[in-house]
Amino acid sequence: MNNDITQTITRIAEIIIDELKLEDVTPETFDPDLDLVNEVGVDSMDMATVALFLRDEYEIQIDEDDYPKLTTVRIIARYIDDKLTSND
Amino acid sequence: MSAEQHYKFSDIIADPIIRERWEKVRRYFFLRESTYDMSNRCNIRCEGCYYFVGEKQFAEENTSESAWRQLLESEKKRGITFVVLAGAEPSLVPRLCAVCHEVIPLGAIATNGLKQLPREIDYRVHISVWGNDQTSLATRKAPDMLLRQMANYKDDPRAVFVYTFTPYNIDEVRQVTKTLADNGQQITFNMFSAPVGYDGPLRHTSQSLRRTAVIMGEMLAEYPQTVLFSPYNIAAHTSEKGLHDLFSCTYPRMNAATDIGLGRSFRQYRTDLQWNRDAACCVPDTDCRDCRHYAAGSAVVTARMYRHATDPVTFSSWLDYADTYLAVWVRGYAKGPNLCAAMINPPLPYS
Repeated sequence: MNNDITQTITRIAEIIIDELKLEDVTPETFDPDLDLVNEVGVDSMDMATVALFLRDEYEIQIDEDDYPKLTTVRIIARYIDDKLTSND
Repeated sequence: MSAEQHYKFSDIIADPIIRERWEKVRRYFFLRESTYDMSNRCNIRCEGCYYFVGEKQFAEENTSESAWRQLLESEKKRGITFVVLAGAEPSLVPRLCAVCHEVIPLGAIATNGLKQLPREIDYRVHISVWGNDQTSLATRKAPDMLLRQMANYKDDPRAVFVYTFTPYNIDEVRQVTKTLADNGQQITFNMFSAPVGYDGPLRHTSQSLRRTAVIMGEMLAEYPQTVLFSPYNIAAHTSEKGLHDLFSCTYPRMNAATDIGLGRSFRQYRTDLQWNRDAACCVPDTDCRDCRHYAAGSAVVTARMYRHATDPVTFSSWLDYADTYLAVWVRGYAKGPNLCAAMINPPLPYS
């Protein structure tokens, strides 16, 4: 795993923790492979909120139809990485 | 990023008025709904009623309180936090409604209002109005409907009257809204949405949509304390395009995704406590191309928050819509003043 992805994972975890007001977890301890829907309890409105802050942070658009694919922090990090790469 | 999208979301919600409203509505993001047909009977028969179309009307009634309790307990375990009790007429089975309320305390009941629901069922009560009493008599075959509905729900904070616009009752809303305002009762607006195969005169036309938009705006301006609606509700529900074309409906019937949101959690139970994913939406057997139904919009427009977060005006319009939805559906939620007076066009999705 490269350093950029690691940083992205940490930042995504931070946004999720802050915006969804998750307790007892830090960006460093957040398991990036946790299933956000089944294990964290994220729903579509939560995902839309997180997507808006990710849009701010990385200046990318997240298609509403892509929410179902964004099941873990690691997958979101790769999704962002792909978007940023394709924007280069 | 498109040319129109210059704002960061954090900039939009930096405005203290927008932020306050955003924080107010987002507290209800935990709501996850399903709907339940409570009976296969009704005490009136209305032209264009979506219940008496398709297969669901033939489902055998399950009247067992323990069966309903068991279902609602399992729904709660499944994550459902909000129930909508509808078809054909829930007030005919008050004990079953009470059981639902005992298990899941947030919800709404769609009723014709001719039989009062016991006060201990503390859900929002949506009372359907289809015009003045003369028109109601013609389309619903029931006399003095508004008079009886108002008497049954006088001083009842659960009640909100839902006025369904057809091409033939548009101007009558003035009289109905004034009557409700004089009695301290609240109203919101619905659009007749044709059931599948319906070819009758109640289907809206371009002209009736435009006329309805004008009158809705007048009522909103004249009775801001009585009318639970917003300029953006008008825009979204009187467009030539139906809700599915505008927002891509998120109910299972039109949404194959099962991973998140309504596609994952929503079910529409028939009165025999069975459900079918292919038919699951808030108004089953409605023609999706013609759907402008208030219940559909409440979920579908609200779910499309992301595409509305492009600038302060568009996001304020979405907040007005979400604030209206919560005021109409959730007991105790008070609607704030609309933030956006302009009637903006529904935004396209990012693609």
